[in-house]
Amino acid sequence: MAWFTLILAGLLETFGVAMINQLSVKRNWQTVILLILGFGLSLALLSYSLRFIPMGTGYAIWTGIGVVGGTLVGMLFFGESKDWKRLIFIAMVLGAAIGLKIIS
Amino acid sequence: MNANWIKVFVAAFLEVFWVIGLTHAYDFWTWTGTVICIVVSNYLMIAAAQVLPAGTVYSIFVGLGTGGTVVSEILFFGEPFKWGKIMLIVILLAGVIGLKLVTNEKVEKGAES
Repeated sequence: MAWFTLILAGLLETFGVAMINQLSVKRNWQTVILLILGFGLSLALLSYSLRFIPMGTGYAIWTGIGVVGGTLVGMLFFGESKDWKRLIFIAMVLGAAIGLKIIS
Repeated sequence: MNANWIKVFVAAFLEVFWVIGLTHAYDFWTWTGTVICIVVSNYLMIAAAQVLPAGTVYSIFVGLGTGGTVVSEILFFGEPFKWGKIMLIVILLAGVIGLKLVTNEKVEKGAES
């Protein structure tokens, strides 16, 4: 359960960052509310997860999912580069996160 | 210039505090402190990233933040030191920093928490 909420927290972080980018394109209150909900829920779920998963591990994975998620969204929906370097870095983050789950 | 780099370091320091807060906060005051750290940390970070190269700022910030949480959980919260875990966190961090640095070569600037 804690690992599931940790992954969800990372994905909501990605969503929050996407809303920040959206705001720089178009300012409206719906986006501001989604941004606050996204980050608020992300931090609440992170907090829950960290009560069960060691702090350093949980925080690193949360950050990693946030950044990888943002990169994948950019690649899939906004035509950002699918450069092999980026794919290797994504694989490193996900591989390490899975490794951390296995050893803990 | 220097003042902006100091903002990055203070932001990372506060980042470690709010992660500790999210993990251990238990009453009104500890939660209030945690929320203040979150707000100030992100504010400083965004302010610095508008002046300095955003990819570099984020990389230093996330490196210090992750290092800080790992070191403090071992020093202050009795988490055992395990090589395997440290190595995996270093690999994960290298991936995150790599992504930030290659991405910011071309596109986006600023607005990243």
